[in-house]
Amino acid sequence: MMILHDRRRAGLGAVVLLAATACGGGDPGSSPLEGFCAAVAPRVDAYLERALSESPVPDDERYGGTVVVATISEIAGGMNAFVSADYAATQHHQFVNLMTLLNYDEDLSPHPYLAESWDVSEDGTEITFHLRRDVYWHDGEPTDAHDVAFTYVRLTDPRTAYPNAGFWGQYVQGEDGVEVVDDFTIKVRLQPHAEFLDPWRAVGIMPEHLLGDVPPEELAGHPFGTECPVGNGPFVFRDHQPNERWVFAANPAFPEALGGRPYVDRYVYRVIPEQTTLLTELLTEGIDLYVGLQPDQVQQVVDAPNLYFVHFPSRNYIYVGWNARRPQLSDRRVRRALTLAVNRAEIVEALVQGYGTVANSSVPPFHWAYDESLGDAVPFDREAARALLDDAGWTDRDGDGVRENADGLRLAISIKYNQGNQIRQDIAEIMQAQLGEVGVEVRPQAIEWGTLVGQITDPVERDFDGFVMAWAAEFRVDDAGLFHSDRIDEPYAWAGTQNPEIDRLLDEIAITVDRDEARPLIEEYQGLLADEQPYTFFYYADLTEGVNVRLRDVHMDVRGEWVSVGRWWIDPASR
Amino acid sequence: MTKYLVRRLAGAVPLVLGIATVVFFVVTLAPGDPASLVLNPGMTPEVADQMRANYGLDQPVHVRYVKWMGAALTGNFGTSHTYRRPVLDVLLTFLPNTLLLSGCALVLAFMFGIFLGTVQAVRQYSLVDRGVSVLTLFFYSMPSFWLGLMLILVFSFFARNVWHWPIWFPASGMTSVDYEFLSTGAKVVDRLKHLVLPTVSLALVMTAGIARYMRGSMLEVIQQDFVRTARAKGLPERTVVFKHALRNALIPVITLLGLYLPVLFSGTVFIEYVFAWPGLGKTLVDAISLRDYPLVMAGSFFFAVMVVMGNLLADVLYAVVDPRIRHE
Repeated sequence: MMILHDRRRAGLGAVVLLAATACGGGDPGSSPLEGFCAAVAPRVDAYLERALSESPVPDDERYGGTVVVATISEIAGGMNAFVSADYAATQHHQFVNLMTLLNYDEDLSPHPYLAESWDVSEDGTEITFHLRRDVYWHDGEPTDAHDVAFTYVRLTDPRTAYPNAGFWGQYVQGEDGVEVVDDFTIKVRLQPHAEFLDPWRAVGIMPEHLLGDVPPEELAGHPFGTECPVGNGPFVFRDHQPNERWVFAANPAFPEALGGRPYVDRYVYRVIPEQTTLLTELLTEGIDLYVGLQPDQVQQVVDAPNLYFVHFPSRNYIYVGWNARRPQLSDRRVRRALTLAVNRAEIVEALVQGYGTVANSSVPPFHWAYDESLGDAVPFDREAARALLDDAGWTDRDGDGVRENADGLRLAISIKYNQGNQIRQDIAEIMQAQLGEVGVEVRPQAIEWGTLVGQITDPVERDFDGFVMAWAAEFRVDDAGLFHSDRIDEPYAWAGTQNPEIDRLLDEIAITVDRDEARPLIEEYQGLLADEQPYTFFYYADLTEGVNVRLRDVHMDVRGEWVSVGRWWIDPASR
Repeated sequence: MTKYLVRRLAGAVPLVLGIATVVFFVVTLAPGDPASLVLNPGMTPEVADQMRANYGLDQPVHVRYVKWMGAALTGNFGTSHTYRRPVLDVLLTFLPNTLLLSGCALVLAFMFGIFLGTVQAVRQYSLVDRGVSVLTLFFYSMPSFWLGLMLILVFSFFARNVWHWPIWFPASGMTSVDYEFLSTGAKVVDRLKHLVLPTVSLALVMTAGIARYMRGSMLEVIQQDFVRTARAKGLPERTVVFKHALRNALIPVITLLGLYLPVLFSGTVFIEYVFAWPGLGKTLVDAISLRDYPLVMAGSFFFAVMVVMGNLLADVLYAVVDPRIRHE
């Protein structure tokens, strides 16, 4: 019974396995009982599933146990919201150790968190946040409006060098933009801007009583975030061994209204840099959750009776960025042909076993303004690609199988990727084969990560033709840093896009507060991107996770892997 | 001897400084820096510049070089960008972990290597000799990280999940996550269990190499006149081999020890990756890709010193075991 109980979440794999054990012993294939058992076993399993869901583990029995999560990298910058805009770090700021003023619910609308309510002035330029009075820092001090003001002032202070400062720059209204009304009320003055609530769910509030005296320029190097973080979120920091593990304990005093004390007693984040080792640790139950399971490991997780596999859509898109400054790539017809000639749907199927969605622009499929019809805008069509290249003046003049232009320049490009990233290497190699079919010579090139980043971000050199990389899309549409021609000399404008229509739309979208007004603009923008092809957008990768059956209610979505960490619980029978 | 040591040490100083200089320029002139690695479209060039200034990277390279060298010579290696602590502190955090792993591996490797090589030489062309030769060649030519993965597969996954052995070994880490709640005895067992697989995968490859060296060296010695003399005067074979022959055969192997000493600190990188061992090697390789200049510099400085010291130690040990060298 206990084993059955353990395996109920394993899905089909477990059913098959149970059927096999129940009827084992006989010669498979010849025994008439085989078919009988195969028919009975799923019914028993379904009964059990139903019975268990009708009599679930009661809430008060869900408390306890240690959950161990592991992934390949450290939490860069740790629990210091001033330092790190790194993905794993912000996830821990938002959902584990710190608190944001508000968060998003499942359909991405703002939801009270540290702020229990807020008022917005009629013109949308003044927000008053009313904070909860029952949130305490993990050293006993109350979290109040002074902490919020302190965080806001430091984030927008250029001396802090907060990596995502540009994000705030669009909202900030001068130095006196923030006013503490009383201990639990704070008023912020903003420029009119779309999605003006979004920053407040992104950044964790930091403790003023501990860091108030640290000069802004020293915050980045301060040991607070990695040695002795003091947060106010559902988990209290206990220990950090660099490159090894983070240990957090449940915060017993976390407000009941926000979910209360997390179910697990301890939450451990382990760093295991090698993916095969990670999978083995999951299989041998050294860890409960492998964050970022590789697509080619999915089958092993599905087949293992003690594990189950979950996947959720994510915000991360893989793309090939093109350097429009290069003569081979300056014509948007050429870039469009490069995308047309690549079978992206097949690549998603082959490379990530279908755990991804073909991308057509930087606006993710879950976004409220996502244009569904865009799917057919750039299909896989070799003939169209050839015609476009012919049109653009690139034809094979000397019969060597590679196209040239009128000046004799060969349509030969290199596609760079960071060394050691298998999926990106595969993409570069598949493009080499598929673009070869339409007369484009591609040379895949492996480059050390730091060097590659240096080459593509250097505004003067831009030493690349194309490269494979990934972005995490934001919840609001703002690609000015990527595609706006005013910012072409900034590090991330590597595509070198110069399109007045795109500039106009980016400017308008940024300040259009009303969603109904913004929708047509964003839809037009997606169409323009499909036409301009600054990148060949490949796919939005799913979050793929391997989970031990003892760990329940693991819910994730585009908000991230850690969004429900406080609600995860461990089967009492296998604690 | 003292004079010799002083001369060698004095010669090492410019060598170490030269290495540090070369590493400094190679690392700083490579494309990319900590600010460019942030990769966030919200980061404006002004913020990147401020970040560089906060890290002290806004000055010209030669100024930074002089500053770094000046500080390093007074023992101040700066603060790591990624760990937010003094670099020496970071090195000292990870050094014991690496030393534990490679120290155990080195001891095991030399014990078994010397033993196997001796047995092979004494029983030359026997079945044992041939068998061990094949085995050592097999392990010697195997990349240690691959060997590590195979050990994990067999002694962690298969042992626990498939064969249900009573004893299996954890695939990664130095301790279990509930380590702090264990009794003292259980803590020791826990640490040993975590130590087994990485140590064995590191030691196997080294053992194989040492055994090959030892066999060759022992064969040479065993045919010499003084061994024949020892046998002729009726000494038991055991005494002849272990007292007379072994001592002489050890001399070239001691050179190996000197060569392996730096490996103690650096050669474990792959093993540290595979077994998620929080050691110095992985830390420094990561520091290079994260462009944590102060950490990379201090690390290479440290390794340069280790290589020089290792070689020096080998030469001194030579003198200890070989009186002929001592007298010169």
